[in-house]
Amino acid sequence: MKLFTNKIGYLTIAFAMTVSSCSKDFLNAVPELDLSDATVFSTPARVLSQVNGLYGSAKSGSLFGGRYLIYNDIRGEEFVNRTTNSVTGYSTYQGNQDPSDTYLAGFWIQGYLTINRANLFLEGLTANPNAVSSTLAANYRGEAKFIRALTYFSLVQFFAKPYILDKGASPGLPLRLKGETSSSNNNLARSTVAQVYDQILKDLNEAETELPDSYSTALLNTTRAHKNTAIALKTRVLLAKGDYAGVITEANKIVSAAAPFRSTTRVAHALQADVSAVFKAPYTTTESIFSFPMDATNAPGTQNQLGYYFNAGNVEYYLNTGSTGIYSHPQFAATDDRKTKLTVATTAIARFPSSTKFSGVSPYIDFVPNIRYAEVLLNLAEAEAEAGNLNRAISILNAVHKRSDATYEFTGLDTKANVVRAILTERRIEFLAEGFRANDVLRRGEPLNSFGAGTLIQPSDPRYIYGIPLVETQTNPGIGN
Amino acid sequence: MKKLLLLGVLMVASCAPLIAQMKQVTGKVTSSDDGSALPGVSVSAKGSARGTTTSADGSYSIQVADGASLVFSFVGYTSQTLPVGNRSVINVQLASDNKQLSEVVVVGYGTKKRTEFTGSASTIKAATIAERPVQSFSQGLTGQAAGVNITQPNGLLNNPPVIRVRGLSSLSLSSFPLVVIDGIPISTDNVSANSTTNNPLADINPSDIESIDVLKDAASAAIYGSRAGAGVLLITTKRGKSGKAKVSIDSWAGVSQAVRLPDVLNAQQYMDHKNMAIANALLLNPNAVTSTQRNSENKSFLPNYNPDGSLIDTDWYKEVYQTAVSQNHNMTITGGNDKTSYYFSGGYSDQDGFLRNNTFQRRSGRFNLDHQATKWLKLTTNINYSNTFNRAPMSGSNAGGAFNTSGLGRIAVAQVPNLPAYLPDGSYNLENNTVGRMNNLLPAQFPNPAVVRDLDKITSENTRLIANLGAEIRILEGLTAKTSYSWDRRNTENIRFFNPFNGDGWSTSGDAYNNTARSDNWNWINTLQYNLTLAEKHNFSAIVGSDVQKTRVLNWGAQRQTLADFFFTDFQGNFGTNLAAGNGIYQVSYEAYFANLSYNFKGKYFVSGNIRRDGNSALSTENRWGDFGGVSLGWTVSEEEFFKNMDLGNTISSFRLKASYGKVGNGNVPNAYGSYSTFGSGLYGAVPTLSFNQAGNKDLKWETSAQTNVGLDLSFLNDRITLEANYYYKDINNLILNVPQAPSKGIPGNSILANVGAMYNKGFEIALTATPINTGKFSWNTNLNFATNENMVTSLVDANTPILTNTSGLEATSITKVGYSAAQIYGVKTGGVNPANGRRIFIKRDGTKVQYLHLGGANAWTTLDGKPTTSPSSEQQILGNTLPTFYGGFNNTFKYAGFDLGLNFTFSGGNYIYNGSQAGLRDQRVWNNSVEVLTSWKKEGDITEIPRAVYGDNVSNGSSFLIDANIQKGDFLRLQTATLGYKIPADLSRLGISSLRVYAQGTNLFLLTPYKGVDPEISSNGDSNLASGIERNSIPQARAFTFGINIGL
Repeated sequence: MKLFTNKIGYLTIAFAMTVSSCSKDFLNAVPELDLSDATVFSTPARVLSQVNGLYGSAKSGSLFGGRYLIYNDIRGEEFVNRTTNSVTGYSTYQGNQDPSDTYLAGFWIQGYLTINRANLFLEGLTANPNAVSSTLAANYRGEAKFIRALTYFSLVQFFAKPYILDKGASPGLPLRLKGETSSSNNNLARSTVAQVYDQILKDLNEAETELPDSYSTALLNTTRAHKNTAIALKTRVLLAKGDYAGVITEANKIVSAAAPFRSTTRVAHALQADVSAVFKAPYTTTESIFSFPMDATNAPGTQNQLGYYFNAGNVEYYLNTGSTGIYSHPQFAATDDRKTKLTVATTAIARFPSSTKFSGVSPYIDFVPNIRYAEVLLNLAEAEAEAGNLNRAISILNAVHKRSDATYEFTGLDTKANVVRAILTERRIEFLAEGFRANDVLRRGEPLNSFGAGTLIQPSDPRYIYGIPLVETQTNPGIGN
Repeated sequence: MKKLLLLGVLMVASCAPLIAQMKQVTGKVTSSDDGSALPGVSVSAKGSARGTTTSADGSYSIQVADGASLVFSFVGYTSQTLPVGNRSVINVQLASDNKQLSEVVVVGYGTKKRTEFTGSASTIKAATIAERPVQSFSQGLTGQAAGVNITQPNGLLNNPPVIRVRGLSSLSLSSFPLVVIDGIPISTDNVSANSTTNNPLADINPSDIESIDVLKDAASAAIYGSRAGAGVLLITTKRGKSGKAKVSIDSWAGVSQAVRLPDVLNAQQYMDHKNMAIANALLLNPNAVTSTQRNSENKSFLPNYNPDGSLIDTDWYKEVYQTAVSQNHNMTITGGNDKTSYYFSGGYSDQDGFLRNNTFQRRSGRFNLDHQATKWLKLTTNINYSNTFNRAPMSGSNAGGAFNTSGLGRIAVAQVPNLPAYLPDGSYNLENNTVGRMNNLLPAQFPNPAVVRDLDKITSENTRLIANLGAEIRILEGLTAKTSYSWDRRNTENIRFFNPFNGDGWSTSGDAYNNTARSDNWNWINTLQYNLTLAEKHNFSAIVGSDVQKTRVLNWGAQRQTLADFFFTDFQGNFGTNLAAGNGIYQVSYEAYFANLSYNFKGKYFVSGNIRRDGNSALSTENRWGDFGGVSLGWTVSEEEFFKNMDLGNTISSFRLKASYGKVGNGNVPNAYGSYSTFGSGLYGAVPTLSFNQAGNKDLKWETSAQTNVGLDLSFLNDRITLEANYYYKDINNLILNVPQAPSKGIPGNSILANVGAMYNKGFEIALTATPINTGKFSWNTNLNFATNENMVTSLVDANTPILTNTSGLEATSITKVGYSAAQIYGVKTGGVNPANGRRIFIKRDGTKVQYLHLGGANAWTTLDGKPTTSPSSEQQILGNTLPTFYGGFNNTFKYAGFDLGLNFTFSGGNYIYNGSQAGLRDQRVWNNSVEVLTSWKKEGDITEIPRAVYGDNVSNGSSFLIDANIQKGDFLRLQTATLGYKIPADLSRLGISSLRVYAQGTNLFLLTPYKGVDPEISSNGDSNLASGIERNSIPQARAFTFGINIGL
């Protein structure tokens, strides 16, 4: 019986050990590599990290870090596909894009992810009023609104009818301005294009007042939004809206009345003497109003890199040297810096000319420009021309063109139409491979001359804009078609 | 405290039986097969708890009451009951028996005699699996057990099979059964971090396995409670038997090759076909092929010649596939004395795949020891140490890899055939990231497979220790306490080097990614078991216990790019870019308490119940505990007097009815932290960021499954024919789903884990085992198992919100919707090819027929009368179920003198497969095509399946979006294995050899199927619940021939 009691004793100990090993903490497993949502406003550094997270979200290779720009360029007439790879935009290039396309859905998904992050951040700042100083809080709010406006504007251009066609009366985007963290609210109809534009401009106007004048370094001035950044983006939005007076008002805040055109307030934006300097390290000249930085540890990702598409990376697309492409346009002379310094006749990959604006090789860490001072100038020039002030328009056009081709003289700039046409052509030269082409055509309601489709795509053609991605129509019954 | 109390109760109860007049009986138990002594045979007095086991020489000694009967039982042998009478020496010969009814079933935390078992379980003897040329035992289970469906995804070595016990058990959680090896649940997911497949179950040497018990219903599985929703595979490894040391050596060697490769165009056919397609395209779009990429005759594909003047016509299959050689060797030593027994084994397996450079190696050692330390203390220990090494080039055949640009499965068929792999000087034919175009004016699209095959280095290697230490304490007659601690420690090293010349490393001038995972998994089980028989009629068995488990996995790694010099071929070389990659930490813990009570009256009426309370760290704090349990009833009708008196009683040797009901859970939550909302840390340029990266669900709770089983066991003619039949119904509720969110909400991943769905599985299972012929010299044993399964999703977020799933993240292929079985194929209906113009006809949801003209611009989509219309791409319909509705196996063993012949057939059907590879084979880009395209539409009136070829067309063939023209029935009958063995009858004892058998085996010898892809047993999405039945660019299955030898010393 003694033995028996001892065994009971051992057994009790064994059981007790099992149970004690299972203290309350035993079943507690918390993420060790992600932060709880409850702690992200607990220090000023974390709040700043969230701000940078908004930019980081926008710069994803599936959005502004690469593909958004690429898809704009390959829809037009400037590029010829070399690889027939559907993963690198071939169907969009051919005008066969479809709402089921994974990469088009990627714009929508990454765009709205960025928007939701901005919304959550704005709500979080309100809920944590003491997280940072009120000045910083205002600055950060401005940055979040800037990112939200940039993203909404970029999406509305892809997925809705251009404003200009019907004053924004067409269905635009579901306008989401509240942070989403739960399963509710899937159903939301599209606001009109005009309503989306109103929200974008509201955000940018507020951002203009909230953002700081400038930052302490050139890098920050280029990669974070400040007052001039919001103003510059407004010129783009207003131009797409056809609000030329608005463009002029906004642009004049950062463009001097006469040559040399430069910003005299806050950050001193100006054209660089040599355009190729803008695309070289450190990528932070005053011409780069807003660019997305890249780093070896923060690269655009596979098959998203501009240099991979347009340059020796893989020359997915080479320059169209035929009559419709800008490469052979008389305004783009052989002596133009933008041809001599930013294109090459052949690459190791292909026997055709390529753009070398993005000249870096793997890991492709060229900064990706989003707003350049040259754009503000040409936005202003176009608005001035449309508004009838041809002299200032031509003066600005010359400033941009002669920077790269000093000896070139425009001819025939005698009518508004000719001046506008010259400015639009100048944009094709200046912003080649920078993701402007399709939007520049669509915002004016003109037919898209798709080289891949081998035809003009008229505004009435369903291929003119991208359909709402299938993933959205399947989960948001209110979206309509 | 409760436990002590319980103990007390059991103590009192145990004092009840009184001891009658006793006598001593001794004897020896031998095998009727060869007369050898049988150690470890259980000898007990019928109707009492009194018992002993035979010693090393088969002898026993037991005190029994006068007039008692002795029951001799032993695993694998027919039990015998003999009245003692006035004898004091009883020698017994036990006959070996492979019939299921008389065996034991390994159930949760113990074993049960099958005659007393009222749940539903299948036992698979592992001996047949050990001889098969497979990497893990899981691949060998096909067709072996009713209700267990195994799909080998393709022929990539060590690709984890898809195992479904009674259908699909979940939608978002794993439907793979819980695998428990000698008591410890182990992980079953592919642990490779690259394109090799690394099934961790291959760390167990199949030769070490004694048996595999599959627990299928809640009554049997509920003791594993929360973990048993998908069924349980209990693996029992071999143990030593006391007696003199026995040595066995088992070896096999064999060859394998790829079968059912599609016929593709040769060089001349390719050039002619593609140039025709270009001519057709140019009529529609002058830029379809730019003028610089075609000659004056508008041809882009032009002949290339070998130095001897012959046309280059490359068979890319030869660069990718081979006849592969494999070998496998095992040696075991078992033995022991009356106190201690041991099993020691060493194994070596070296297998090459038919895919070149695809290899598998395993070196393993196992030591299992049992020691009766004192009369009341038995110690058990198992130690298994193994190293498995998997190597594979990019094959496109691992789950998620279907669209890899350098996936050799696709390149082998799609690579341009008029281009060579090598230049005349022996160097690789390369151009940028593809094979060099030579005279062709259009570049190829895929890398040179010879380079990918030779210069990429992709491996995944496990080093693993599974150790177990257990003690069994006999406290009282019938009262036993057991404790068992298991430790499963796995280090996995994943190495991936992409060469800089061609393939995935080209654009980064070389890319090396190494990752190492350290998984620490421990498990401690304590049980207290009490068996009691009252008045020789009432048999009680009770068990209470606790089970805790914790798994912690640490991953770390780095990626290096831009080789400083192409001299380097390893991660350790010098690179320009260094990145963090493959880092992660996660932890899951489980805690459970359980009790089981079984009672039977005279072996006639059975009732059993179990309850279990489970905690799981992956669920929300408030909901992480769940209560599970089951009850079962059994009635052995054949034990009733009235039955024995019936005439039927002579024919039917055993007849039993059984029923069970229970509730179990599924603990395999895919995200260890799904209840938390989190922010991830990243970078913006060089500064740190924080971004919302997971919307958690604080309400996340157990996914549960209520399971009903009704069955009968019948055996006829003295067990010559046995039949087990079951009806099952599994009702799964609170399905944890990745609930799709409208992307415009900006929820990371566009989904939130939530308990929202329900579905059921129901069906019948029949297992018929018979010995139709047994003349002594000649015998035929046969087993037919057959199961049906009906899966039905009954609720999701709502009836109108289906779950759509992509193949490899790219191609929309699958839909799961209320009112249908899960994972239906989802695509656009088509109506053949319009004989008038050669265009593919598509059918919209409203039945409108439209036709497609590639490069037709605004007229690409037109109605049949030519009016422009919209694309039907978003007009998908549900096109077919992918889950087989019936499946099974038909296994036969013939023996004649020393010969044995095994023929194992497997079959499955009622399902459809999306043959996505066929879409690729008909794609009109630069890819090579199936010879089917030679019949493409050419002129008005042509009746054909293949539309007019327009260069670049990826819509008409179904590459752009899924079409029903690429869906085929998946029914099949396969001769899985045919084995012919011969046991040398000569007495070889002078050589010290006690037995010697040689055999030859063929695997996958024939296949009857209407399916046109590489194999109807296919799963390009691996173990996916939501995207099963998809073939996309996978390599085929193997046909193998092996020769083996079994030597006993």
